[in-house]
Amino acid sequence: MKDERYTQYADLLLDTCVAVQPGWEVLIVGPPHSRPLLEEIGAGLGRRGAYAVYQLAYGNIIGAADRSWVREASLELVGKPSRLQAYLFENCDAIVAVDAPENTRDGSSIDSEKVNAGRAAYLPAMQRLISHEVPWVGCQYPTPALAQDAGMATDEFADFLFGAVLLDWKAEKERMQRYADRFDASEEVRIVGDGTDLRIGIAGRNMEVDAGGANMPGGEFFCCPLEDSAEGEILFGEFPAVYAGRELTGVRLKFQGGRVAKATAIVHEEFLNQTLDSDEGARRLGELGIGCNPGITRYMKNTLFDEKIDGTIHLALGFGFPNLGGKNESSVHWDIVKDLRNGGRIELDGEVVQENGVWTI
Amino acid sequence: MLLDACLHVQAGWEVLVLGPPAARPLYEAIGAALARREAYAVFQLSPEGSIGAINRSWIRNAPDELLPKPSSLQAHLLAETDALLFVAAPENTRDPASVDADRYTQARQAYREAMKRADADETPWVVCHFPTPAMAQEAGMATDEFEEFLYGACLLDWDAERERMQRYADRFDGAEEVRIVGAGTDLRLGVAGRPFEVDAGGTGGGSNMPGGEFFCCPLEDSAEGEIVFGEFPAVRRGREVTGIRLRFDTGRVVEASASTNEDFFFQLLDTDDGARRLGELGIGCNPGITRSIGSPYFDEKIDGTVHLAVGHGFPSVGGTNESMVHWDIVKDLRDGGRIEVDGEVVQEDGQWLI
Repeated sequence: MKDERYTQYADLLLDTCVAVQPGWEVLIVGPPHSRPLLEEIGAGLGRRGAYAVYQLAYGNIIGAADRSWVREASLELVGKPSRLQAYLFENCDAIVAVDAPENTRDGSSIDSEKVNAGRAAYLPAMQRLISHEVPWVGCQYPTPALAQDAGMATDEFADFLFGAVLLDWKAEKERMQRYADRFDASEEVRIVGDGTDLRIGIAGRNMEVDAGGANMPGGEFFCCPLEDSAEGEILFGEFPAVYAGRELTGVRLKFQGGRVAKATAIVHEEFLNQTLDSDEGARRLGELGIGCNPGITRYMKNTLFDEKIDGTIHLALGFGFPNLGGKNESSVHWDIVKDLRNGGRIELDGEVVQENGVWTI
Repeated sequence: MLLDACLHVQAGWEVLVLGPPAARPLYEAIGAALARREAYAVFQLSPEGSIGAINRSWIRNAPDELLPKPSSLQAHLLAETDALLFVAAPENTRDPASVDADRYTQARQAYREAMKRADADETPWVVCHFPTPAMAQEAGMATDEFEEFLYGACLLDWDAERERMQRYADRFDGAEEVRIVGAGTDLRLGVAGRPFEVDAGGTGGGSNMPGGEFFCCPLEDSAEGEIVFGEFPAVRRGREVTGIRLRFDTGRVVEASASTNEDFFFQLLDTDDGARRLGELGIGCNPGITRSIGSPYFDEKIDGTVHLAVGHGFPSVGGTNESMVHWDIVKDLRDGGRIEVDGEVVQEDGQWLI
């Protein structure tokens, strides 16, 4: 039996996320496991008078950099882009990237030097995408592997995923914009909770609302806090912080003049400090985000979702977004999520705007 | 074998790999092998394989005016690649039957210009098969049995096969007339001045794997007589046509009938003017293929058969017939059939006498 939710999902991706126009040539990339969604995307593009140019591959989102090839190719070759692949990125009118891992740890078998070289090879060709000149969307498809990471059965995970993406995004945008406007008019955000009392300056830094644009699910608003403003302490005790395949628990950060002055963790404390020492920017904040997706209520070890849990905030150590006024430079951008639903609160210039994860404005 | 014997891949080449998802182990082997040859593997898999911009879900829904216009991205890939590797790995061999034949033809035709270099064998290409349960089912075999069959048909000593087939082909080259006689069949074809090409798994241009035939483009106005393809069904785009009977007059099909899917068959013959003339005469010689499996790629190579293609001829071997159609139909000669070249019997009951 056909699952209508895939049709709705495809409609959402094509209309809300990339706003497909007749005559467009849309590149569809991803692995084949997501066939029901891929076929709905193809049909949806056909109905909109646009081309569906499939470029699926098994081991990578980039068809010319399949794992089977990268593993055997010389580092030199991996670092040079295929001109056919580059042409596709440079000339498509939009990209829909479907993430459907059959094993979320597959990437770990490849030398990270090669992975980075392969990614760098296509950066020039992807400039139009990175700068959002050409619309694109990254979305997920409910595979058993993603469900397993989330600790759910596959059908349960599918229900969860559709619950998080098939929202009334116009209404969500309006709602989040209302909160964001309050932040935009404020100088200081204070986050209070278990082991946590942190003040962050945001004067002159604007919040951006993600209500289903380049990432699906959307459901957050975020800004780049003033780089030298963070003062106080935060404990990420509710969820593990995941980075480079490692799970860190009990991460505690103490900020002084915007800089992490002390960092401890229960598990992987050494790795935490190594990461903070990657470069100067890794010790400063690149992002403060507020999760607002009402369909996401539990942690599932999947950053794309976790940072949108309704009633959480996240801080990113490292790189800030220049388009939002961020000045922090770093090779690190590590989102760590803090749950405020149990005794936490957010204050704006001294006024409580959210308590126990529930908005009071 | 695909990369060396069929495509002669060179360092720095960009090889476009097209196919459906089911052939994963083969793709992984191809990706690794191309990397070791310092060549790029540009994968473009799609739900139904073949060309990534033409899939059932899209063809069904696209507006009429978009179908015959190529996607510029897809056209660029096909026109600019250094080599093309098509993998056939259907998960249901009857899937194509659900797409309107005319819409499918239009969508394919859109890429004719982009495929020009490949059609002329300037860009090397190969079509190969991966043993899926669907293909095995179509062949009436268990999947593992089909796997054995497939590798038995492909992993041959192709140098020896080439030599053997070239010996036969030399007899046909320079002859004036080929006569095919068998059940309900007595057909004469003029081949004067038309060279025979041997397909022994790779020519540096286009090739099929498995190979195992030699073929020519008969003179377009020469076919005279009648032929009945009663032994095997002919399968095209998921449809099975059985009991095809054709009568030719000065090269043109003047009478046609079929026992099943006759309407589809007539529609095909009426596609364009060239669809009623012959584009190919082929002689199957693959010793690993002894039975019909319902796939023209294999059936046309059954040792002891001939096949005729209605429609498009190959300019590279002197063919002048133009058509959107090129449909190979196989005739078994192993039970009472024979081939004569200028009046001399060269094959009888599927056995070569030369």
